[in-house]
Amino acid sequence: MSKAYKFCAILVLLCCAAVPQTAQGKVYIDIYNPSSRSLPIVIPPFSSGGDFDREGIASKAAQIIGDDLDFSGVFRAVDPSAAGVALVEGGRPKWDKIAMLGAEAVIVGAMTINADRIVLELRLYDAVQQKEIAAKKYDGLVEDYRLIAHKFANEVFKTLTGARGVFDAKLAYVKSDLPNKEICISDYDGAGARQLTNYRSLSLGPAWSHDGRQLAFTSYKDGNPNLYVLGVEMYRGVAKGPAKLVSKKKGVNITPSWSPDDTRIALTLNLNNGNSEIYIHTLATAALERVTNDWATDVSPDWSPDGKMITWVSDRTGGPQIYTVNLSSGRIKRISFNESSYNTSPAWSPRGDRIAYVGQVGGRFNIFIASTDGQYQKQITSGQGNNEDPAWSPDGRYLAFSSSRTGQKEIYIMRADGIGAKRITFGKGAKTEPAWSPSLSNQ
Amino acid sequence: MKHYQRLLMNVACAVALVFCFACAKKVKQEAIEIPAENELNANEFQDITDPAIKAIFQDLRFDYDRFVLKPEAKKTLTNIAGWLKQNTGRRVLVEGHCDARGTAEYNLALGERRANSAKTFLIEQGVPEKNIATISYGKERPTCEEAGESCYSKNRRDHFLLSK
Repeated sequence: MSKAYKFCAILVLLCCAAVPQTAQGKVYIDIYNPSSRSLPIVIPPFSSGGDFDREGIASKAAQIIGDDLDFSGVFRAVDPSAAGVALVEGGRPKWDKIAMLGAEAVIVGAMTINADRIVLELRLYDAVQQKEIAAKKYDGLVEDYRLIAHKFANEVFKTLTGARGVFDAKLAYVKSDLPNKEICISDYDGAGARQLTNYRSLSLGPAWSHDGRQLAFTSYKDGNPNLYVLGVEMYRGVAKGPAKLVSKKKGVNITPSWSPDDTRIALTLNLNNGNSEIYIHTLATAALERVTNDWATDVSPDWSPDGKMITWVSDRTGGPQIYTVNLSSGRIKRISFNESSYNTSPAWSPRGDRIAYVGQVGGRFNIFIASTDGQYQKQITSGQGNNEDPAWSPDGRYLAFSSSRTGQKEIYIMRADGIGAKRITFGKGAKTEPAWSPSLSNQ
Repeated sequence: MKHYQRLLMNVACAVALVFCFACAKKVKQEAIEIPAENELNANEFQDITDPAIKAIFQDLRFDYDRFVLKPEAKKTLTNIAGWLKQNTGRRVLVEGHCDARGTAEYNLALGERRANSAKTFLIEQGVPEKNIATISYGKERPTCEEAGESCYSKNRRDHFLLSK
């Protein structure tokens, strides 16, 4: 269902792009126009009623929405204190003061806390036409205020751009706790980080199912690097039940990637004591289909969003390079072309048109973007440590990655054009291999 | 407005469905000979402490992004094969390791090839296959963590453990 929805959503977006604005309601920003500017938006402090807001949730929620929109690059969060006076009076925006800040959109929020529950009423205004264009009332647990703020940021994004926001998505990643590694989960902005596994072993390579309900990963917890699937309550960031063993072939059972319909997992196995190959494991029957068959090392498969192709790494020409294979015709195409003889970690964009990968140039690892025919190649990180493990956001607008730019490897997020990199993990232990969950709202 | 959107959605879904059915052809199913499920029990093996045996089971070193056995490695493996053939009750675990550079995933595959290089050589020397187990740790279990070739070269290794 999730696949069909996503596919439809993409198609609808394509249609919308071609439909005149009059038929769709006003689109304020054309995010498909690369030269389009950032829309200035201001979020005055939310009013707060009911129980005393001990933890400052009203201001934190406003901050989260502002950070989400600002990070997108589509918006520019304007500092409300620059006006020197209150921008909202009696719940109504003061248009003259807002105009002076140059803001073209305003979010007005009112929060009420009652014991462990929170009601957050949020209104989005077009500050140029001085009219309300979206309003939502959220009623939930106080501890879920971050999720509520992210959901409203999605709403704002959708109202003003016509495209779905994904600010409520999660990141899974690997945290080193020498000599072990555990899988962690956090909001996409790094908040609410918690450990998902606690096997005191090596657990690696998390991969989300497209319905956001399961994480596949490799763990050495039973000795061999086997493949497991863990049920996850995505928004709470907690595991549901123990991990299920999916593949325990002799040798590696690594680098899982879910098929778009979540019924199959592409992975790397080494069934013949020689070199590793790509296989497709059907979950219901445990049947295996072999995808690659050569003398070289083949590893790290990732499905195209339409399920027709797989991209992966092979060193069949000497060093590792990125390839794609058409699963029905078997046609293979190399898509990494740069000065590097070491290109790895392919990640197929959810929009289908790009593949991100890592290349080693001049002793450094950096992230590249290629078109799926290999014609277009662009390096999007440089000059700041090693940048690896690219993972797309569910809308294909952003990338999460690991970087050693401050020493220890940490997780960063940035726009897919390489701009706006923002560190989102802190504290002890290197963090690597981020995986961006689907966004389940607004579908 | 809403109706228009719903109509669009329906049309889009219809198009998507047609697309999906049109491309339902899958990879040709290929018969795969699947070996026995993994029986590796990590607890069966332990570090070698006896100095005389340790002197035989030295780590093998590899070049960057390579799994080819170097002449010194072959010499070491010949000695190891000799010992294993004398002590047929003992099993060996070959751990393949990599240095800190490069992709974790690719290094897991590379580490496995390094372990298999040793395994293949030992079998050629007459060690029974059932007495050799392999595991790849990629770059996940380094012996040192400094940046630089002197540490990198120590980590690009096959390391040996013996059954109790």
